[in-house]
Amino acid sequence: MPRDTGLPPGTLMMVVLRVLTRQPLHGYAIAQTLRQRSGDELSVEEGSLYPALQKLLLKGWVKAAWRESDSGRQVREYRITPSGRKQLDAEMNEYRRMASALDTLLKEA
Amino acid sequence: MSMPGEWFRRLVYLVRRRAMDDELRREMEAHRAQMADPGGFGNTLRLREEAQDAWGWRWLDDGAQDVRFALRTLRRTPGFTLTAIVTLALGIGVNSGMFSLVNSLLLRPLYARSDEVVSVYRRVTKAEDGPRGLSYPNYLDLRDGTTAVFASLAASSAWFAGVDAGEGARRTMVYAATADYFQIFGRPLALGRAFSAEESRPNAARRVAVLSYPLWERRGANPNVVGQTVSVDGEPFTVIGVTAKGFTGTSIPGPEVWLPLGTQGWLDARDAHNLDVIGRLRDGVAVQSVPPALATVARRLEQAFPSVNGGQSLEMEVPSRLLFMPGVGGSAFTALLSLMLMALPAIVLLVACLNLANLLLARGHVRRQELAIRGSLGGSRGRLTRQLLTEGVLLSVIGGAIGLWLSTWAIRATLAALRPVLPVGLTLPDLALDWRVLAGTMTFSLLASLVFGVWPAWALTGRAVVTDLKRQVGDGGREPGGIRVGNVLVVAQVALSLLLLASAGLFLTSARAAATVDPGFRLERGVLAEIDPSLAGYDDARARAFHLGLVDRIRALPGVEAATVASSFPFSSFGESRLVATVPGGADGVDAVFTVIGRDYARTLGLPTLAGRDFSDAELASGSADRVAIVDDALAQRLWPNQTAIGQTIQFLDAGAPDVKRPLRIVGLVPAVKHSLSTPRPFPHVYVPLGQSDSTEAMTLQVRVAATQNDRAMLTTIARTIRDADDRVPILGLETWRDRLDSGVEVSIFRAGARVCAVFGGIALLLAVIGVYGVKSYVVSRRTREFGIRIATGAHPHTLLWQVLWEGGRVTAVGIAIGLVLAVGAGQILQGLLYGVNSVEPVVLVIAPLVLLAASLLASLVPALRATRVNPIAALRAE
Repeated sequence: MPRDTGLPPGTLMMVVLRVLTRQPLHGYAIAQTLRQRSGDELSVEEGSLYPALQKLLLKGWVKAAWRESDSGRQVREYRITPSGRKQLDAEMNEYRRMASALDTLLKEA
Repeated sequence: MSMPGEWFRRLVYLVRRRAMDDELRREMEAHRAQMADPGGFGNTLRLREEAQDAWGWRWLDDGAQDVRFALRTLRRTPGFTLTAIVTLALGIGVNSGMFSLVNSLLLRPLYARSDEVVSVYRRVTKAEDGPRGLSYPNYLDLRDGTTAVFASLAASSAWFAGVDAGEGARRTMVYAATADYFQIFGRPLALGRAFSAEESRPNAARRVAVLSYPLWERRGANPNVVGQTVSVDGEPFTVIGVTAKGFTGTSIPGPEVWLPLGTQGWLDARDAHNLDVIGRLRDGVAVQSVPPALATVARRLEQAFPSVNGGQSLEMEVPSRLLFMPGVGGSAFTALLSLMLMALPAIVLLVACLNLANLLLARGHVRRQELAIRGSLGGSRGRLTRQLLTEGVLLSVIGGAIGLWLSTWAIRATLAALRPVLPVGLTLPDLALDWRVLAGTMTFSLLASLVFGVWPAWALTGRAVVTDLKRQVGDGGREPGGIRVGNVLVVAQVALSLLLLASAGLFLTSARAAATVDPGFRLERGVLAEIDPSLAGYDDARARAFHLGLVDRIRALPGVEAATVASSFPFSSFGESRLVATVPGGADGVDAVFTVIGRDYARTLGLPTLAGRDFSDAELASGSADRVAIVDDALAQRLWPNQTAIGQTIQFLDAGAPDVKRPLRIVGLVPAVKHSLSTPRPFPHVYVPLGQSDSTEAMTLQVRVAATQNDRAMLTTIARTIRDADDRVPILGLETWRDRLDSGVEVSIFRAGARVCAVFGGIALLLAVIGVYGVKSYVVSRRTREFGIRIATGAHPHTLLWQVLWEGGRVTAVGIAIGLVLAVGAGQILQGLLYGVNSVEPVVLVIAPLVLLAASLLASLVPALRATRVNPIAALRAE
């Protein structure tokens, strides 16, 4: 049984951005992808996903557009923007720095 | 990431909220349709709301919802809403009205950068008296000697003149000013131009005038007024400009006409100290550098002209703001006066707020069940409090808006009430509302709603929900807490109302005392007429002859007992005074009212001649006769205690007066009369005959009517006689002596004070009655069940009636007891300001509480009657 990510909102936003770097996705697909990638370990509730998407839109890190899906359904697809990529890079660097520092700290202690 | 971009998008979301919400809905539906288990998708509405929280506009939607809900709730209880709004509107209206008045008259700077303007005056170092004016030659030397500190130094001189601006001649205040006078104020002109240096030069050929804005407005606000003619003391002047609206110069009130100083005939004399001097500091010059500069000039003037300028210093002061209270330019006085004037409406506002608190509290108790249900359904305490607060703010905004409208109306009413008090034409600053008043009003009303809205809201939402729900069902009985708070509020209201009513009573007592004062002469059957032949072109000698001839005509009229002319009448607003000293000796003078009189003055006023004689025809007709004077015993006792006054010699010490230091022989002694109500003892008087004065144009004709005649009927006869003598001579005033006293400044001020206090007291009384009624109604409605049971078990309705009345009366009585203490305290303060009142006026302290008690019993009567009509069956079934 997948557990709710319980990710802090900021982290969820980064994860969503990361998923979107490969290809534009709609909301349901984002949730599915997150679940599959985490090996069914993490799932994201709609109650967290949609506020995060709205925030990403407001920040201008993603853009949304309606299109017809493969199954012929109208879906709203999110696409990462250049400023979104820049933000993701910055956050990733920050995360790596933090992680390696923590790693060192945990090994030596 | 760009913050402006984000905010822009946020705004787009706000504007297109509906479309965005729709998009979100469609998106979520698509999501749900793709799920294997669509039931696993949560509550779409709630999810959508959560997503929308990211936009950051939730508070706005909630607020709008709160406002809509509050409007609905308020509309459902029109009685409560109307009472609350009227209460607030009255409280705020009187405050912003009074504040506008205080602001215009006392607080608001009268002109731009007023802190850089100082007034310069002369002080006689030995004498302990107030500031004195400067002469024109001294002013010129001062101006030239202080160019380092003053950017401009202007001089002006004020007097009362007969002005005819095409609306008939009137006595009004006129300033003669130097060319740089208007420069000091940054050229405050609405039309035309100020004086040129050439026009202000002594003996300038061109006669020009600047009109005040109100005068210009009164004569039709003609935009082409420049070039027209206005007559001042019978002489024509060409209008060159109109001052800006509300401009009064350094002080209030201002004149109606400004003339160039060059029109004045006394400018050459170094001892004609008639000028008020004001200067604007140079940029960057500290005010501290002014006194040394003045001292240098004073020293130089003393060395050059020791006889005129010896023993005198030049000093500076903040220009006095109120013209008739010289030397009180200081902010301490205006602050005190403002505080006193604002205390009255502040008390009314306090009463209004207490009332509002009471209303909100009582209403809150009635709404407890609703709040409890909303609380149990998940309404958070903060959310419920916000809802109640929104109602409070809404009430205060509506009340504040109406209050603002009320206050503009109140200002107009005040202005109308002030006009008759002003004896002559004067210019007052604009009494319009300004942003300060708006800000003040908004602050008042928001404070009122916060203080008196938050408290009940917080108190009510903090209750245990279950207890409230339960109690609402089972218990309709007493609620000691709520009622006790309500009663305390009513006690405070009653006490404050009594304070205002008692103050109004003191003012009224004072006005009555002032109107019935014994002036030292007989007020009955006296008539006076103010005439000024110079307005018809008479010169001094002809004016004198006209006056003497007119008095002879009047005296010959049937029904006239005696008649005379004099330069002033007791209780007139403006009199001349002189420093009187004995000859020889007489270094220190005694300040005395100086009156030029005709024959029979004492007889006309009904005064006996105590010693000596009246002036002779020769003394009245021309100045060539022996110089003589009559004094009253108040002056005689000061100058020659225990000696006879007849045959003594006096002199006037006033430099600049035409008769300075010329000896006068005392030929008569008359009893003292009161010249003004504000002086407890009669002020000394000195009288000189008409022939000895060279300013005999404006005179007051005084007539003693025979006992057989009606003095009012005599008014028309006298007016006709004056017109018969010369119908070009305008009659500036015509009334009985009694009316003159009643309409004089002093009585009018007391009466205006009584009226203002009565209005405020009446409003407070009304509010207190509303408060009593509200609390009693609430109590009765809460105790319906109790009354029902008692009626069912045989209680007589009268018993219930009396019980409710008694409880109401008890609360009022406590309020009255506290109010009496406050009223006596206020009496202590007012005693010093008012004429002829004690701090404890028994009549006032009996009548005011009785009025309050009666009003409060009346207010309890309606709910009390309701209590007797409780239907026991209905009351019990309702449970």
